[in-house]
Amino acid sequence: MLERCVGTLRARQIQRVIRHGKITLLCLFMTVIVLRGTIGAGKFGTPEQDIDDIRQHFYAHRKRVEPHRVLEEVQTTDAAKTEDPNNYEKFDMNKLFVDEGEDEKRDPNKHDPSGSKRNPTLPNFLRPNKPRVLLVTGSSPKPCENPVGDHYLLKSIKNKIDYCRIHGIEIFYNMALLDAEMAGFWAKLPLIRKLLLSHPEVEFLWWMDSDAMFTDMAFEVPWERYKDHNLVMHGWKEMVYDEKNWIGLNTGSFLLRNCQWALDLLDAWAPMGPKGKIRDDAGKILTRELKGRPVFEADDQSAMVYLLITQRDKWGEKVYLESAYYLHGYWGILVDRYEEMIENYHPGLGDHRWPLVTHFVGCKPCGKFGDYPVERCLKQMDRAFNFGDNQVLNMYGFEHRTLASKKVKRIRNETSTPLEVKDELGIRHPAFKVVKVAASS
Amino acid sequence: MGQDNFTPLKRSSTGAAAGGVLPTTNAASAANGRTGRGAMPRGRQIQKTFNNIKITILCGFVTILVLRGTIGVNFSSPDEETINQQLIEEANRVLAEIRSDVDPDDPDEPSDSETNPNATYSLGPKISSWDLDRKAWLSHNAEFPSHVDGKPKILLVTGSTPKPCDNPIGDHYLLKSVKNKIDYCRLHGIEIIYNMAHLDKELSGYWAKLPLLRKLMLSHPEIEWIWWMDSDAMFTDMVFELPMDKYKDYNLVVHGYHDLMFIQKSWIALNTGSFLFRNCQWSLDLLDAWAPFGPKGVIRDEAGKIMTAYLKGRPAFEADDQSALIYLLLTQKDKWIDKVFIESEFYLHGYWVGLVDRYEEMMEKYHPGLGDERWPFVTHFVGCKPCGSYGDYPVERCLKSMERAFNFADNQVIKLYGFGHRGLLSPKIKRIRNDTTAPLEFVDQFRHSVTDKSGSQN
Repeated sequence: MLERCVGTLRARQIQRVIRHGKITLLCLFMTVIVLRGTIGAGKFGTPEQDIDDIRQHFYAHRKRVEPHRVLEEVQTTDAAKTEDPNNYEKFDMNKLFVDEGEDEKRDPNKHDPSGSKRNPTLPNFLRPNKPRVLLVTGSSPKPCENPVGDHYLLKSIKNKIDYCRIHGIEIFYNMALLDAEMAGFWAKLPLIRKLLLSHPEVEFLWWMDSDAMFTDMAFEVPWERYKDHNLVMHGWKEMVYDEKNWIGLNTGSFLLRNCQWALDLLDAWAPMGPKGKIRDDAGKILTRELKGRPVFEADDQSAMVYLLITQRDKWGEKVYLESAYYLHGYWGILVDRYEEMIENYHPGLGDHRWPLVTHFVGCKPCGKFGDYPVERCLKQMDRAFNFGDNQVLNMYGFEHRTLASKKVKRIRNETSTPLEVKDELGIRHPAFKVVKVAASS
Repeated sequence: MGQDNFTPLKRSSTGAAAGGVLPTTNAASAANGRTGRGAMPRGRQIQKTFNNIKITILCGFVTILVLRGTIGVNFSSPDEETINQQLIEEANRVLAEIRSDVDPDDPDEPSDSETNPNATYSLGPKISSWDLDRKAWLSHNAEFPSHVDGKPKILLVTGSTPKPCDNPIGDHYLLKSVKNKIDYCRLHGIEIIYNMAHLDKELSGYWAKLPLLRKLMLSHPEIEWIWWMDSDAMFTDMVFELPMDKYKDYNLVVHGYHDLMFIQKSWIALNTGSFLFRNCQWSLDLLDAWAPFGPKGVIRDEAGKIMTAYLKGRPAFEADDQSALIYLLLTQKDKWIDKVFIESEFYLHGYWVGLVDRYEEMMEKYHPGLGDERWPFVTHFVGCKPCGSYGDYPVERCLKSMERAFNFADNQVIKLYGFGHRGLLSPKIKRIRNDTTAPLEFVDQFRHSVTDKSGSQN
């Protein structure tokens, strides 16, 4: 029929074209289906997993998101167990929380007035050179994403409880997000401000991250050294002011005096924090201005460095950058040397010989992803915990079997005259816990 | 080259031509003569082969894709997915190791021989002059007094196992529970000891508190009272202060009911989840009399049987410290009972089931500082066992109740800062008071409500 219309040759050409066209269409169709099934094809309705994969593939070069380690429990599908209401393992925590009321919208115009004059009713100094100190730390009110994260938070707080009991320091463990905009590492700022204002009797507020542990139970902070300063952080002057290095100081463990200066500092520090565009843009400025800083949103530590560099005349005089002892000790260079320290030195030094604080920066035991391998982080945290715990157990005649062991062994036999037992480290009844005896008695 | 491969094809298509002779000229001449598909011109043949090649390649490509999609035939180097898989496996291995009881560096211990059931277990060398020794020590160490501002020094002792809980939720609630205790103790000037060490292999489980209490009493003579509290008990009245004056003639304060104890001899007449021990010789003697029921193995099992027979309502299981104490106090009544204060006026231990659902009603009608059924001092989650795998109650009920109790108590703490939880099940907080330029007014108000003893005992 076609031949009669257009002639034989034409007809054959057309037939050929049609044949080719059919093959092409068929192949195209099959390609689309196969591609859709395997690597996804965007907005044509791809499975979500594929979108994530593509996103991750493109972001793989970004160091911070690259999964160096993954901590996820492999969920065993056991149909029989899911029906048991008494079984904790099958329970989904997300069913538990219920938020009533609406989310508060923060009014950017609302003026947040700073505190007024203090009127202490309890003494700020317990003894000369012994100020009243409040140690502040905290974690999220929701369970950790990582199954052992909460266990390490528990060990960390026990470690802090021990140090603070020995040194007569009070603890505030925060589990509340006071300001939704200042989330993440910035959450400490509104909390610190609130605590300074609510506790006028506190002379120094000691912020400590939840991933930092005390490893020297006998070391007392030299308070008299800071009588003319209001903020004490671990760091080096040259690295901050000359090199402008973003890790020139560390805000994981610092002391802040309860005074007007501190409130002003918090007000000057906070503007880079609000989540969203402000924090991202601030992050770009910080990466540009500070040496060695990778690209990510603004964090409180970089912001502090930047603040000190740009407004040195205003704040620098009252800031003490302590490097004589480890008010913050980077774990990477310390944890392997514990055995050497036990052999050669003794508690009470606080410095590189026996660090006061071992801070597990980058380990992030509560989250799913950290910057270091799982095994190294968790095992070293156990070692650091036991290293500190040994000093406490020694008071009672016990010790961990090894730095990696949870079990304890006796190092001193029970005696019928316990009061004559020598307290080697002097921390059972230490001088810094002495109560002032009333004059009348 | 290609032509050589396809020689057979050509040969078959030019079957009529003589074999061995390159059919090109013949094919060309033949194609010009005929219109059928027989002998074709060379150009046409080449085109055809190219078409075939194209189709073959295309089909091959599609096949590979499909195979890749279905059975994962992968010719590239290990990609991210395999690395992830390896990381997950490694992480699981590390987690399993952490959760196990095996010590990584510990050589295999020789299995301990069973304790000789004939030998009486002892917590330590007998001490008989503790009261005098302690008094002497206190007089020599006046800077560590046992009473501060008229209040006796109290040490709160609690603890949990050194290894992670069987499920992660358990650790989370241990953390919340210790925060709750830190808050109460900070407000009331009480020190805390959180124990994570098994001091004595034989006295394990709920018995582990005995050697711990003894050790702490002897190491801290400046402490007047030691307060044991279970890890599953939470403070729910942050203002209530223990009426220590009431106990000046007693050495053991425990929550319980007189009639359950002396008339019915019930195994739940007293609760050892929250009790106070005075630091004195009497307490050491009681601990020495209490401990022999505890050693793991034959002794504990046999003791359990005795107690089940003697106490009302006790199920059959090994001896626990609570039943043992009740048994001891009943069988050796004359020796101990006059120094034991059985407290039932406030909830030194409050069984959670009757309390947690009434929190909203309490918040509406009453106020903190009462400590009794109107506003319980302590809510104790007996039977929930969040650190294990199975509890005696449904999980959802237990966890919701624990969350509610935690938030109920936390509300009282963060009230000072002008915040409150958005509902008793919510981890989020809301402002209940605007920020002010005079924050200290509220501080004073709160402090007065905490230290006002007359208000709390009404």
